[in-house]
Amino acid sequence: MKALLKFLWIQLNMDLREKGTLMNYYVIPLLFYIIIGSVFTQPETKSTLAATMIIFAVTMGAIVGIPGPLVKMRESGTLRAFSVNGISNGMVTFVHAISAFFHILIVSVIIFCTSHLIFKSDNPTYPVRFICVLLLFLLTSTAIGVLIGTFARNQSFVTTFSQLVFLPSILLSGIMFNTSMLPKVLMWGGRIFPATHAMQMFKGLAFHKQTNYSSMIALFVLTVIGVAAVMLTYLKIWKISSGELS
Amino acid sequence: MSDSVISVKGLIKKYGAISAVNGISFSVKQGEIYGLLGPNGAGKTTTLECLEGLRRIDGGNIIVAGCNPQKDKKKIRNIMGVQLQSSSLPDGILVSEAMALVCAWHETKYRSDLLECFGIEGMVKKKYHQLSTGQQRRLHLALALVCNPSVVVLDEPTAGLDVEGRAQLHNEIRKLKKQNVTMLLATHDMAEAEGLCDQISIVIKGTVAVTGTPFEVTAASKRDTRIAIRTGRNSLSSNCKIEGATFFKEKDCYSIWTCSDSALAIGALMQRVKEANDFVIDLRVERPSLEESFLELVSGGEMK
Repeated sequence: MKALLKFLWIQLNMDLREKGTLMNYYVIPLLFYIIIGSVFTQPETKSTLAATMIIFAVTMGAIVGIPGPLVKMRESGTLRAFSVNGISNGMVTFVHAISAFFHILIVSVIIFCTSHLIFKSDNPTYPVRFICVLLLFLLTSTAIGVLIGTFARNQSFVTTFSQLVFLPSILLSGIMFNTSMLPKVLMWGGRIFPATHAMQMFKGLAFHKQTNYSSMIALFVLTVIGVAAVMLTYLKIWKISSGELS
Repeated sequence: MSDSVISVKGLIKKYGAISAVNGISFSVKQGEIYGLLGPNGAGKTTTLECLEGLRRIDGGNIIVAGCNPQKDKKKIRNIMGVQLQSSSLPDGILVSEAMALVCAWHETKYRSDLLECFGIEGMVKKKYHQLSTGQQRRLHLALALVCNPSVVVLDEPTAGLDVEGRAQLHNEIRKLKKQNVTMLLATHDMAEAEGLCDQISIVIKGTVAVTGTPFEVTAASKRDTRIAIRTGRNSLSSNCKIEGATFFKEKDCYSIWTCSDSALAIGALMQRVKEANDFVIDLRVERPSLEESFLELVSGGEMK
């Protein structure tokens, strides 16, 4: 346990020293938050600013930020170096994920605490539910980020695939504009992304606003996606550990 | 061999249809430095990776200090220190953090002594990517020794190092040998193998072509021994007929002869010098080097 905490502390510090990670976890989400908070003036969009910007920050950090360093560690032989020193592939991945979780959580808390003060957005009607939705969405997104990083063969694949998940998540989830404005195909297509369900849950469960579909369905789908991502990642790492290091 | 610390018997490793290792067997005794030599793609690194438990084997048997690396992966990490051929650490990790992390994992106190030993104690606040190749290699070796391993596996330890770096690392390897640490070394560097190893195996196309001490391997070469002799009155010329020796060439005042039995040839050459009332200024006997023996094997020749 002591070794695990030591590793986590070192990883948290390393992430802060790494420019790319710092950009994905902190700089871009916070910059985007400030710009959007300043630009969006309509009451409807402004009311849920904390939720929309948290969805952006979590998706950016988890889907774009997590997979790249995981693939780099595998390609450069870092995982092998850790492995021969007794630190398993699974442990390195786990610590990387937990560190990312904490960094993205910090950004989310910053947005949550400042959106009302700076941009006069609405506070959630049910703050505890807001935090629960945030944690579930963050866990699911982190699991998907790790899944992409574990399965991706190389950096170019990870860059392409992360963008394939990130961009539709932002455009089709309803954080930029209401999904009812989208053609039906895109509206339904958007529902494969966790960000869409998170948006519905924030709206329905935390802000007590009207949703496009039941928040409980969104909760169920998000949970299933998260559990499936964790299981697939675990299976992949188990397969690697019991066989060969790639 | 009951006194073997490392025992590899009939090791087979395939990548799909390709056999990377095809029945390699060898054993290493306590405190011995054992060298695996071979051209690129011969199967040295694959053999070491199977031994380290990083690759699953397709046949044969490996035992390291009474432990099966394929099954007891956790146990083997406390027995064996490994320096991989190509490995890395995260770019942003500090030297001190890397050492602290590995020490924490092995539940030992911070090993600043190892950093001092490898001359990187002044770089503890440097990030990994700020270290030179040599410093990175020394850090990896220091990390490999954190658990005080009884077996150390080194894959091309001096690749990419300058002359000073190589000499330092060789000294550290010799120090480890004095501590009775058993070492397995894969290298391309014949001089390194000749200077460090007690036993070597030359691996070609996934099989062991020859095994023995470096001296035995060179002695088994078909290549003749060369005798270079310099005399005061140049009495040994190409016209001389010497029993058991053949004139090869003259170079830098030396008359160079080739022979298969150096004792017989030296005796005959001395006799000739004495008969000519000449005297010897210098005499050098050059046995085939390990590199020459290696090249002979790789090019398809057979040893005696």
